[in-house]
Amino acid sequence: MPFVQDCEVLAHQEVAADHFRISLSAPKIAAAARPGMFCMIEVGAGYYPFLRRPFSIERIYPDGVSFLYKVEGVGTRLLSRVRPGDDLNLQGPLGRPFPVPSGKRRYILVAGGIGVAPFPALAEAVIAAGGTPEILLAARTERLLVGIREFTRMGCRVTVATDDGSAGFKGTAADLLGSILEPSEDVLVYACGPMPMMRAVHEKCLAAGVVCWASLEAHMACGDGVCMGCVVPANRETEAERMVRVCREGPVFDTREINWTACP
Amino acid sequence: MADLSVNLGGLRMKNPVTVASGTFGYGQEYDEYFDIARLGAVTVKSLTLQPRAGNRPPRLAETPAGLLNAIGLQNVGIEAYLRDKLPFLRKKGCTIIANIYGYAPEDYAELARRLEAEQGADAIEVNLSCPNVHDARTVGGCKLVAQQPEAVLKYTRVIRAATRLPLFIKLSPNVADIVEPCLAAQEGGADGLSLINTLLGMEIDVRTRRPVLSNLVGGLSGPAIRPVALKMVWDAARAVKIPIIGMGGICDTRDAVAFLLAGASAVAVGSASFRRPDTAIRVIDGLTQYLEEHGFSRVTDLVGALRTE
Repeated sequence: MPFVQDCEVLAHQEVAADHFRISLSAPKIAAAARPGMFCMIEVGAGYYPFLRRPFSIERIYPDGVSFLYKVEGVGTRLLSRVRPGDDLNLQGPLGRPFPVPSGKRRYILVAGGIGVAPFPALAEAVIAAGGTPEILLAARTERLLVGIREFTRMGCRVTVATDDGSAGFKGTAADLLGSILEPSEDVLVYACGPMPMMRAVHEKCLAAGVVCWASLEAHMACGDGVCMGCVVPANRETEAERMVRVCREGPVFDTREINWTACP
Repeated sequence: MADLSVNLGGLRMKNPVTVASGTFGYGQEYDEYFDIARLGAVTVKSLTLQPRAGNRPPRLAETPAGLLNAIGLQNVGIEAYLRDKLPFLRKKGCTIIANIYGYAPEDYAELARRLEAEQGADAIEVNLSCPNVHDARTVGGCKLVAQQPEAVLKYTRVIRAATRLPLFIKLSPNVADIVEPCLAAQEGGADGLSLINTLLGMEIDVRTRRPVLSNLVGGLSGPAIRPVALKMVWDAARAVKIPIIGMGGICDTRDAVAFLLAGASAVAVGSASFRRPDTAIRVIDGLTQYLEEHGFSRVTDLVGALRTE
């Protein structure tokens, strides 16, 4: 059950260049939220931007939620100027959460860039289910790696990768995953990041026979299954093309559901 | 309490506020936020004879004060609508306007017949103006039925002969003179008009040097188009006798009142629901307040009450 409500900003900091964490008081949304769900945030009072922006929930607290985001355009630029004490209108929680079955031997969370956004809440859920999350954190360069300290403090095992080799493994998140993934039904992979990265992670998992859940990103108008704007092509049983809504059937998908070759 | 009820060519609505087709799904999603039976009517997403997957993504591009879309009429098809979507709307007690789309007049007629026979709607809105089901790569690829008055007349006559349900023709603003297709629809036997559909538009990503939308072009909605819509409703209302459902960028009560004053007998809230799902409900509440503050006892007294002297 989603809510639409004004929520007070409790804290808002820049955690890396153009990367921000914002925490809001939202007890009702927090109570209904699960890792992997998202909120639509009204980033300004005016008509530009006209639409809300979707953000994955970073962490769920008893009295509120937090989000990690990167400034990309006019909406996130406006959002970055909001100050503690201001109100923001939130709509949520929306979408399908990550499934977190207990009793798996390994839970591997693969994050590319700001794709780390939904993983702190997921890591907490994995720990609650008795697992030890293995976080593969990848970014272009060392100073854009977000959350190493928080994940370590939670009790996760963190491995980093950078495109330029400035920290950890030199290469992509999918390459790093490939170096540690063994074929097993007892392993679960979660992925979030740019589409090419998630596709590469999907292919590694498929080859290893490992189930992978990915949180997809898309431009959305309504965030709630109405406008059909955020669809991605799904695999199909018949000839007819089939689209699934990232906001409603997702944002979390079993990567085998997605027709990656037809994605933009 | 002021009387908000209206009768649009046989379609009775308890208030003059509906939602624009394609911005409200089949009602179920937004019923999580408010009781959708409070709306004067629920206008459902365009229905086609067969289900449609719609266009490839990207389908959305946000522009100043607006939204370009090229969804391409993704919908469940008439069969699944009647089986899976209609029971919910009927159980809620909603007044239903079913928007239909076809590739030929006979498709529309068939959809209208089925909707009437299976009590699938209380009125029919005929989409002759979707800009997103054409191949923009071909010259003249975006030619719409609504841009050809003689075609509007022909389609309307065929659909009119197929149903006794109140019939609204939804027209396109992408014309030199909105009055011509309006008169054609009236002559063809329409009970009312829905004005306006989206304005054709385009956005280009200069970094990749490609159009943002996979379909290259799309339909613009949102507050950016409101003055255009208002003027077209005003033009049409002075030329036709049948009622008009006015739409295009309505975001609040003030906008809705403006459309009524311009001559619309009812209004539809469109893209604004994406930002605030309960926008249409706020408009209904705001209308009551406006009527009381300005000493009107019936909302129908506002229709066409624009003062131009």
